Amino acid sequence: MADFLSAYSIQQWLESAPQGYLMNTEYGHPPGEKEPELVFSDPLLREQAIRTTVQLVVGERCALSASSGLVNAAPDEGSKRFLATQTLDEARHVEVFTQRLFDLGVKKSDLESTIRSHANPNLVKFAEVLLEKVDRKDFVAGVVGQNIVLEGMAFHVFELLQATSQALNPKFAHTLSGTIADERRHVGFGENRIGSLIRENPHRKGDVERMQKEMSYYMLATFADSFRAGPTQQEIARLRREAGGALPKSEWQGVNLSELEPREMEAVLADTVLAEFKRRLGRIGLEYQTPARP
Amino acid sequence: MSEELLDLHQLEPARFFEQVHSFEFWFEAVEGYLHGLEYGHRRETPEAELSAAERDRLITVLCNYCVGETAALEGAGGLVQIAPNRATKIFLSTQTVDEGRHLEVLVHRLRELGVADPELEIATRATPALLEFKRRLLALVRERDWLAALFAQNVILEAMEFTVFQAHARSADPRTREVLQGIVKDERRHMGFGENELGRRLAAEPGAAQRLAAIRHELDPLVFGSFRDTLARIGGRREEGADLAEHYRAAVARLGFA
Repeated sequence: MADFLSAYSIQQWLESAPQGYLMNTEYGHPPGEKEPELVFSDPLLREQAIRTTVQLVVGERCALSASSGLVNAAPDEGSKRFLATQTLDEARHVEVFTQRLFDLGVKKSDLESTIRSHANPNLVKFAEVLLEKVDRKDFVAGVVGQNIVLEGMAFHVFELLQATSQALNPKFAHTLSGTIADERRHVGFGENRIGSLIRENPHRKGDVERMQKEMSYYMLATFADSFRAGPTQQEIARLRREAGGALPKSEWQGVNLSELEPREMEAVLADTVLAEFKRRLGRIGLEYQTPARP
Repeated sequence: MSEELLDLHQLEPARFFEQVHSFEFWFEAVEGYLHGLEYGHRRETPEAELSAAERDRLITVLCNYCVGETAALEGAGGLVQIAPNRATKIFLSTQTVDEGRHLEVLVHRLRELGVADPELEIATRATPALLEFKRRLLALVRERDWLAALFAQNVILEAMEFTVFQAHARSADPRTREVLQGIVKDERRHMGFGENELGRRLAAEPGAAQRLAAIRHELDPLVFGSFRDTLARIGGRREEGADLAEHYRAAVARLGFA
């Protein structure tokens, strides 16, 4: 275990993240980059950008709370130190996504009320399931919930958003690329560290699997709320019709996202995340539990 | 960012508060003194030749530093959860990683000195007073008592570490000195945050000062006890303990908690 943890040391983190892919960035993107004009000229698109970013802030606040809480619950000093770097990564994500809300015109005095009014209730429940485990200092469930389920979801959501933003919103795409690099490290730690703990505590399998099922359900419900028909989706469909074939191709998981209907995009995202859960959980000795489809 | 840093003190108070608590600010601050270091010291800094007794004393001291830094790491992680707003949560996240780094460089230094199992060695050599201090600090964090926990962590513990590390750095071997000097720079930032945050709270909450004085009354004997225990184990003189206690009192007084 000591060898595996040396790859997750603070020295490695300093060299790879702050002194590596985050060098010369400002709130996660190259200095001077701005949100595209279209976002400000179309109220529905701006509203959608704010709504999406609020979900990212809610998810990252949960991750910050969970990773900082798990520092105290970690059974060894190496894991504590890794979780310290994860705590700061998550705080940085909170900071950069909050800054995006300000860039989109949310006033500082309206930040909390904007988050409250736009936060998806299913995402809030997803967070509550995880934080209840963290509050009880349940390290095994906490790391599976945080570093496999939450981070696995975040990783793919960020990738999808990055693919759709690359041509239209380079600022947001660049912000996301740094967070994706962080999440990849977090997922790797979760998988490496927790496998041995599950083997040492086989009696924990049942309740950890139940937690995964519950969190997965709320995740799918969040996706459903985000992609299914509403005025914003209709506006996006209208813009797509107007653009005809002029929309730049954005490929992810082998499909051209610019050709997909929102429901199809939801299905690609959900299937990708769930397949990844299944694979990763299998590697740490847990059996993936299929949630109900909202 | 660096241009903004030059004008930092021109910012209006809310923007200043947000800026100095940010990841961006932390990174600018640490990059200056951590760049090019490996586990807290320059790669080319020579390892001093220590006698067996000197090495053993240094290991005892470093093991106790590790206990203090573990307390600080767990305390800072817990404080993130109970911090009252986004800016303080983000600052405390930077402090969490600072404390994790301190623990890492100290453990690495133990390995450089030939300690094969640092966790076992730390458990063996930890002084009871310091372990009790850690227990009390984490109890305050668990009780979600923001004011008291922040005081215990960012004033008492940080001032204790600042005092000891600064004194030790003056006489330490070259590698240990570089490691400690880097830690001391972080501690200054942490104490500044504690002073600022507590200062505003104390101004707003009459009676809080009395509560903090009671906590200090409870924790100070443990601070002095840890100085005394460690010095006894390494054959130090009693006067050294008195000097450390005096410097610690002065550090706390400079933070406004005489």
